[in-house]
Amino acid sequence: MNLLISFETGFREIFSHKFRSFLSMSGILLGVSSLVATLALTAGIERGTRQFMEQMGGIEMVKIVDKDISDDQLDFWNLSPGRTLQDARAIRESAPLISYVAPELDEGMPVASAGETMRTRVRGVWPEYVAATDSKVEHGRSIAFLDVERATRSATIGATVAARLWPALPASEVVGKTIFIRQVPFEVVGVFQMNERDSDRKRREKAAESARPNTRQRTYDPFRWKNEAVIIPLSTMFYEFMSGLYPEDSMDTVRMRDFTIRVTDIENFRPALEQVKAALMVTHRGVDDFEFETREEWFDNMNASVRATRTSGGLIAAISLVVGGIGIANIMLASITERVREIGIRLAVGARSRDIFLQIIIESVTIAVLGGLLGVLAGIGLITLLGIIAPSDNTPYVTVSSMILSVGFAALAGILSGIYPAIQASRLDPIQALRYE
Amino acid sequence: MALVLLEDVAKCYTLGGQEIRALNGVSLRIDAGEFVAIIGPSGSGKSTLMHLLGCLDTPSEGRMEICGHDLARATGDQLADIRNREIGFVFQSFNLLPRLNVVENVEVPMVYTGASARARRERAEELVKKVGLGERMKNRPTQLSGGQCQRVAIARALVNDPKIVFGDEPTGNLDSTTGKMILGMFRELHEAGRTVVLVTHDPNVAAVTDRVIELRDGKVLREYNPRTE
Repeated sequence: MNLLISFETGFREIFSHKFRSFLSMSGILLGVSSLVATLALTAGIERGTRQFMEQMGGIEMVKIVDKDISDDQLDFWNLSPGRTLQDARAIRESAPLISYVAPELDEGMPVASAGETMRTRVRGVWPEYVAATDSKVEHGRSIAFLDVERATRSATIGATVAARLWPALPASEVVGKTIFIRQVPFEVVGVFQMNERDSDRKRREKAAESARPNTRQRTYDPFRWKNEAVIIPLSTMFYEFMSGLYPEDSMDTVRMRDFTIRVTDIENFRPALEQVKAALMVTHRGVDDFEFETREEWFDNMNASVRATRTSGGLIAAISLVVGGIGIANIMLASITERVREIGIRLAVGARSRDIFLQIIIESVTIAVLGGLLGVLAGIGLITLLGIIAPSDNTPYVTVSSMILSVGFAALAGILSGIYPAIQASRLDPIQALRYE
Repeated sequence: MALVLLEDVAKCYTLGGQEIRALNGVSLRIDAGEFVAIIGPSGSGKSTLMHLLGCLDTPSEGRMEICGHDLARATGDQLADIRNREIGFVFQSFNLLPRLNVVENVEVPMVYTGASARARRERAEELVKKVGLGERMKNRPTQLSGGQCQRVAIARALVNDPKIVFGDEPTGNLDSTTGKMILGMFRELHEAGRTVVLVTHDPNVAAVTDRVIELRDGKVLREYNPRTE
């Protein structure tokens, strides 16, 4: 008996008992829909987290920070010049595993347009800053090499700054305006892209649609340091605002406030940091007064929580699939007692026991797969509904692989739950079965 | 050529700890093209014999061959194949599948030979027409009379072109007119060259055959030709 015929028989059996088939399907349907929904939710969380990580600069971004020196080095702490531009040059020359070095001098300062004023952190940077922090310039340009070389008064500003200082203008028209940083006029040469979470963007778009001001106060914006950034050339920062504070210092000896590096390849994360450490031990004359601030742990935690969500959701779905499978097995057993005579007739006219086995298995698999397909639809519906009634940070989305996986699990549940009834049916004695009333 | 050959066949059951010899040393031979009735009162062992002849069961003792296959050594799958290809079975209670229509019912034995859907359909329709139910092809068994059901069962028995057709009380559930018509069909099968064996308790049924084998208490009592008797 070939498979096609078995499927045909199975389908006929299922459709001649629509309600019963639907009942036995319902367990699988629920299991699969919750599996699809869970996978969609975790996929959403995963994507949200990944986007968040990318916007935050990614795991490749590492900061070099000052460290208290240990007791045995206390006597010669002043040998070290601290984190200076020398360090940046040294890293550039002798740490090939580092793709970008971004030394930074920053200071909280008032910035103003013709009408508006705000306080923010102004950062004097090298051109590498943009790449090192994975920032994106949306309009105009970023601080360039020549700006640093000639200490021009140019600034690239964050989207929030542009919106705050020029509320009436779109970001593209802010380029070319004059921004006053502590009363010193700078030319705005570029505006950064807005960084925000999915939910914030939705809220903003909704507010824009209804033309109502967004009154909701944000408690915590992880992108604030990017959106409120004002960057100017490092040299300009030093000469305009800092040389007065540190008259004995030059551009080369002034201590950097912040120091960002970017690892080329995450595979070589540790070796890259070793290279940097070796380079800096030379410039710091052997004084161990710096350390790395990495986000490995933080990112690991995020990944762990995504995994935990996936595991617990998968567990719930697995339980419902098992329950669904038991439901199918139950109905199949019941339908077999109901069909003993039919099986007897089939045996009498020449069905082998494996034909009967196959017929029952295929029936239960067909029920399970149909239930699985309906479950996928229900899961998609559930997710869509969820997206409408409770928009969240991480919009869930259904992936093709999760659908295939779910239907595959449903088929597996069908096979497993069909085995016992199928064995029972195929062991029937034809004479007994024919006599059965 | 002997299609059915039994030598000293016995069949024993244990029922409630007691051994019952339903058949006790039956020897008989049926050749190709014969029209035979096996007759006997209830308890004579004719149902047991029918099950053995129909390859639904195997003998406990003795030698038994159906169409050249040794049943004493056959596995379950081999028995199924014999039932499928060599034997056509017509039951007293028709035993049609209630959820399949007439043509589909006739197709069932062919399904297990692995024939293509089209071959099955053509062969089944041909036979349904032959038994005179060309108008009822899409009907379910519940929409048919007993006589029509039995004609469907006969078509089903013939679908794999078996060497031998067994009828187990084929007229038992039918009124006498319809029963006569069904017996006429068996007669036609015989005249067309097929071997037909009817099992019955009814002498009127046995009377249409060429040879009667009478069973009593698990043994062959006598054999006779009903026309000369």
